Amino acid sequence: MQNNEELKWALLIATLAMLMMAFFVISFVMYYQKRKFEEEKKLNDIEKNYSRLLLDTALNSEETERRRIAQDLHDDIGTMLSLTKLSLNQLSKIVGDSGEKEEQIMRKAQSLVEETILHVRRITRELVPTTLERFGLAEAIDEFIHKLEEGNNLIVTFHPSTEEIPRQGQKIELTLYRIMQELVNNAIKHANCSKIEISLEVNDKFIGLRVTDNGIGFDPEHIKENNLAGLGLLGIESRLAIVNGTVQYSKARNNGSNAFAQVPVVPAIDSKPEPLHPFRRERVNL
Amino acid sequence: MGDIYLSYFHKQPIVCFSIIITLIPLILIIYKSAYIDSAFLLLLIYLIIKLVIDNLMLYYAAIKVNTVFYFNINVLVRYIFLSGMFFCKLETSLYRKSVLYSMGIFTVFCICDLLYINPDLKNLHNHKALLYSTTLECLLMIFWILLYFYETIRSLKISNLLLFPFFWVCSGLLLYYSSFVFIAPVLHNAFKWNHRLDIGFLLYVPYIFEIVSMILFSIGIGTFSARHYAK
Repeated sequence: MQNNEELKWALLIATLAMLMMAFFVISFVMYYQKRKFEEEKKLNDIEKNYSRLLLDTALNSEETERRRIAQDLHDDIGTMLSLTKLSLNQLSKIVGDSGEKEEQIMRKAQSLVEETILHVRRITRELVPTTLERFGLAEAIDEFIHKLEEGNNLIVTFHPSTEEIPRQGQKIELTLYRIMQELVNNAIKHANCSKIEISLEVNDKFIGLRVTDNGIGFDPEHIKENNLAGLGLLGIESRLAIVNGTVQYSKARNNGSNAFAQVPVVPAIDSKPEPLHPFRRERVNL
Repeated sequence: MGDIYLSYFHKQPIVCFSIIITLIPLILIIYKSAYIDSAFLLLLIYLIIKLVIDNLMLYYAAIKVNTVFYFNINVLVRYIFLSGMFFCKLETSLYRKSVLYSMGIFTVFCICDLLYINPDLKNLHNHKALLYSTTLECLLMIFWILLYFYETIRSLKISNLLLFPFFWVCSGLLLYYSSFVFIAPVLHNAFKWNHRLDIGFLLYVPYIFEIVSMILFSIGIGTFSARHYAK
């Protein structure tokens, strides 16, 4: 009888101990899983921020480099070409009466120099969109499409949602401008289109850029699934990631493609545009 | 007949409640279409079989017939279906294979245990409960549950365990088998028709935790969403 009582107590204690262990295991699994997830999330956030910082630095370096090259082209090569043109004009006067052949060579040299000056100016403007910095996104897009139409049989239209697009932060404007350039270039290169429509939509929270063409179109899902996205599309996504923007691709109504990039509004701080080459400006100030 | 049933309900409320409560997770699995998940389909089949066996046991117990034979069958059926759920849920191929082999080994072990304890199978009146199989079942099931928890922690695929149905099922099973693991070895003597070992209230502990596990199953199935279920 006493043995039976002892057995009961032993069983009770063992069962209670086992149940406590079970409760402990369940609680531990819940706690550990939660803690691990939080740690993983923190790590992911750090990695994400770090990648974004790297990307931001890389793009900033690219813009600075563009600015430096543009400045060099404008100041050094541009000045030299202007001086060459001046010298050629003087030389032209000196050798004016020497003969027809000499005059022809002189005219050819002069026109070549003038053409080179124009090319240098164009490249400089393409490298640094000064209109964007001075007058804003709408004017810069307007200027871009006018230049584009000059050399192509292409109809490019631009529809801003309001007459006056409020100025955005420099990074936002530059991001949207570069994305617009990339999307339009893609449409010209790959879509085989004859018409491109660009629209700019602004509300209190977001500023959206839509580029639609009437070309052959593409399946964005297919491109994503098969890792066919080129540097252009990846570049767009990278640029948008820095400014917390998104991009959506879809088929346009006329079988072409439609890309819509959206970024949060960041109103511009009232400041003068950066000099073409900030380092040189600093040197001058010194 | 109804009177006998009702009097048994009155005499053994905990045992009877543990049978009735089986209906809640069973109905919930059907209502929530949780059977689309193969683990819950196995749970549904087990709960149906359990309900049938428990009712048979209740009926025979009410008319004072030895029901230990059904208890022994239930041990085998329970292990096959409940470990089958872990076969479906574990991801590592080695673990899955182990579960599968354990089912076969346990079946053989259970039959040997049954034949060893009851050399005369036809004598149902003096049929005795399994000696080792119930304890082995508890140990194996606790092992599979812990293995599943280990795999879950390592893979970090589930963001919120409280919203993961199978976590509740595992918790219920762990509590049930933890309450049962030390009592199981003495059941052989406690369930004897003659010269029974009296362990008092401890005999009801597994029934209480069976009720707890059924409640936890129900909570788990309640969080199941057929719409968001990813095969």
